[in-house]
Amino acid sequence: MSHIHIPDGVLPLWLVALGWAGALALVWIASSRARRTDVRRKVPLLGVVAALVLVAMSTEVVPIAYHVNLTVVAGVLLGPWLGAIAAFIVVVMLALLGHGGVTVIGLNTLMIAAEMAIGWGLFRVLARAFGRRHVGWAAAAATIVTLAITTTALVGLVALAGGGAATGRETGALDPRSLTFANPFSGGIVSVNTLRGEAAPAKPAAPLSVARFAAVVYTLGPIGWVLEGLVTAAVLSYVARVRPGLVFGQAITEPERGPAGDEEAH
Amino acid sequence: MTPDRIYPATGHDHAHTEGCDTVVRVSCVKHSYEDGTHVDLCGLEFTADRGSRVAILGPNGAGKTTMLFHILGLLAPQEGTVEVFGVDPSSRWADIRRRIGVVLQNVDEQIISPTVYDDVAFSPRQYGLGEAEVRDMAEAALELLGIEHLAARVPHNLSGGEKRKVALAGALVMRPDLLVLDEPFEGLDPTSRTALIALLRTLAEERGVTIVMSTHDIDTVPEFADYAYVLQQGGRIVLKGTPAEVFARVDLMAAGNIRPPILAELFAQLREADPSAPAPALTVEDAVLALGAWKKA
Amino acid sequence: MDVRAIDLCATTGTSRLHRASPITKLGAFVLVLTAVVVQQNLFIVLACLLLLVALALGSRLPARHVFALAAYPAVFSLVFAFAAAPDAFTGAVFVVRAVAASLAAIVLLFVTPYPQLFAPLQRVLPEVVGDALLMTYRSVFLLAEKFEHLRVAIRLRSGLTHGHPVRALRATAGALGALVLYAFDLSQREYDVMRLRGYQGRLRITLPAAANRTFDAALLASAAAVLAIAVIFRAAGATLTPWSWLLAAAAALALLATIAGRLVRT
Repeated sequence: MSHIHIPDGVLPLWLVALGWAGALALVWIASSRARRTDVRRKVPLLGVVAALVLVAMSTEVVPIAYHVNLTVVAGVLLGPWLGAIAAFIVVVMLALLGHGGVTVIGLNTLMIAAEMAIGWGLFRVLARAFGRRHVGWAAAAATIVTLAITTTALVGLVALAGGGAATGRETGALDPRSLTFANPFSGGIVSVNTLRGEAAPAKPAAPLSVARFAAVVYTLGPIGWVLEGLVTAAVLSYVARVRPGLVFGQAITEPERGPAGDEEAH
Repeated sequence: MTPDRIYPATGHDHAHTEGCDTVVRVSCVKHSYEDGTHVDLCGLEFTADRGSRVAILGPNGAGKTTMLFHILGLLAPQEGTVEVFGVDPSSRWADIRRRIGVVLQNVDEQIISPTVYDDVAFSPRQYGLGEAEVRDMAEAALELLGIEHLAARVPHNLSGGEKRKVALAGALVMRPDLLVLDEPFEGLDPTSRTALIALLRTLAEERGVTIVMSTHDIDTVPEFADYAYVLQQGGRIVLKGTPAEVFARVDLMAAGNIRPPILAELFAQLREADPSAPAPALTVEDAVLALGAWKKA
Repeated sequence: MDVRAIDLCATTGTSRLHRASPITKLGAFVLVLTAVVVQQNLFIVLACLLLLVALALGSRLPARHVFALAAYPAVFSLVFAFAAAPDAFTGAVFVVRAVAASLAAIVLLFVTPYPQLFAPLQRVLPEVVGDALLMTYRSVFLLAEKFEHLRVAIRLRSGLTHGHPVRALRATAGALGALVLYAFDLSQREYDVMRLRGYQGRLRITLPAAANRTFDAALLASAAAVLAIAVIFRAAGATLTPWSWLLAAAAALALLATIAGRLVRT
């Protein structure tokens, strides 16, 4: 439940548009920052990390119910700026696969970019506080806190959308309380009166129920946070053991080079 | 090495090239990897002359790929010198890259574009050539490898051999003067392998392309290479010469953990059993002639 | 998500939709998506959904994969509808609309090879982002294959069994850790290759022209008509709403006709 699975057409237009504007601005700033240094190194790195997140997301640990995200891992590896670009790529590809709506690509990008940035920051602080021997704890704690924050942001988003999701009859929506079926043959030989209801007065739609939504995500969410925390801890402590530079380094500019080609087969 | 090969005046930058026709020179390069692996490419000096086909032989971990990476400027020598077209490739790659075509070991990772045509057209497009010129070059390269029918295909649906051909087309598209190949015969069926050997020979003899390749496939060396270098574990270059010269040194081959071609082994054992046995032949035709003559004598 | 199946269908499919120009398909997708998003009327959204199903079946897309992908947004929008929708009717609109929007994206992905779909996008995106988007495509295949190998190896060596979630989680995390390292080495090698092959920024991709201009025009016109109907029904509101069930019925007939056509031909 970490990234938004809010489908298309639920959030009001202004929120969707704001999401797009924010995401495009973020991606634009991030890419102009990336261009200052060797672009050629960034492009394959971004491609690979975005692919990594996508492959991880397609892995179900517990069938259907839960899949890994690796967003915090990607954040730790890429840093916040490159992370924002990777977030955009991942969200675009997921939207085309039907995971998350196309119109909410902007909001989803902001959400995942935030997840990567917060995860990156928390992990750096906690890893320093806990010491390098306890990378796993730092990673797990950073992940759980990050996901709790982004889930809260998601609830906030729904609260913002709250009254805005207009479903009034005047917009052409069907209202169950006044459901009518017009019959093109009604003026003709047979009149199907059973399908005619009473004309109902237009009513303002009921708002989205934020409380129920919050209750659902805060009960289902923590299971996911803990699982993701465990996976992130395992992955990051594995990487920290084998290539500490990737985890503790500054933003990656110069990946460590292992022995070339056939030397790998010691 | 072959004095009859005349170096044509194709560009003024060759004036800087020392030894007039040495395209690649690697002198006692040493490299330590971060995990503690050391490769010392010392011993004999490695050179490749214009239009020659040079094979680098050695066991796993001998440093064949490290040598190629130095030639390609992917690794900068920590000690020793590397010269390609008279310059240091690690610092001046941009000056020479158009003249060098490369196929690395894992072709899957080398094909970066989403379709075969786009991948073959990758380099000319990056060098900013016009789309019409790019098309001509890409089509010529596809035709050279006989894979025009793959142009619209997606790389990951190709077979291993097809991918290798696509990577080669991508390396040949700029009509390079130097071709660097890491294990080029891996994954090719016998027919494709014979065709590739013939193609490389044509490139070397007709276009004067210098070819440097590393290989495990010892039996292709006599057919393919003018010269071969043998690397021992740790990178020491212990042997250099024509395939016949190299494979005659069965002792060094064994010490370097390299199995000689089956024919070389056969002739070596014949010699051991009977000193009148003929000098080693490395191709089946030569062996038939030599053994026939021996039988008559 | 089975990326391979999607790619195979997109690159080897021969339907008219496959052979249309990618820009036309993108345009039609945007029109239909807008129609789905602007509409609040269950019947109209349902009509779009039924037409999309007919389109998928008519283009002989692999039904199993298409509908498996479409099931994801159905599940998540159901959760969302349960959590946040004020009443069952609005909830139903959420679900149908989410599935319709996703199905539009999925059909697009199944009939257009990824590079052609992203080439127009890449041209308007910043260089780093666009190129990384295209690199992600190749990397997903390389990483997915590697990950599969790692999982098989782990399963053979340590017994990755379903029904033992902790062990499965640990094994998956181990494979992911190894995958992260492989991914970094891969990005290093891709960087080497790009440098060797003269990469200077901005990958270029050839876009195929439409096989049949009339079909492309018809496709765009139908998508525009769908949007026009959606907009008219929304604007006219209460007047036209009672008639909207006709659209759903017509779409259902079109779907039945498509299914019948397929049955007759096979």
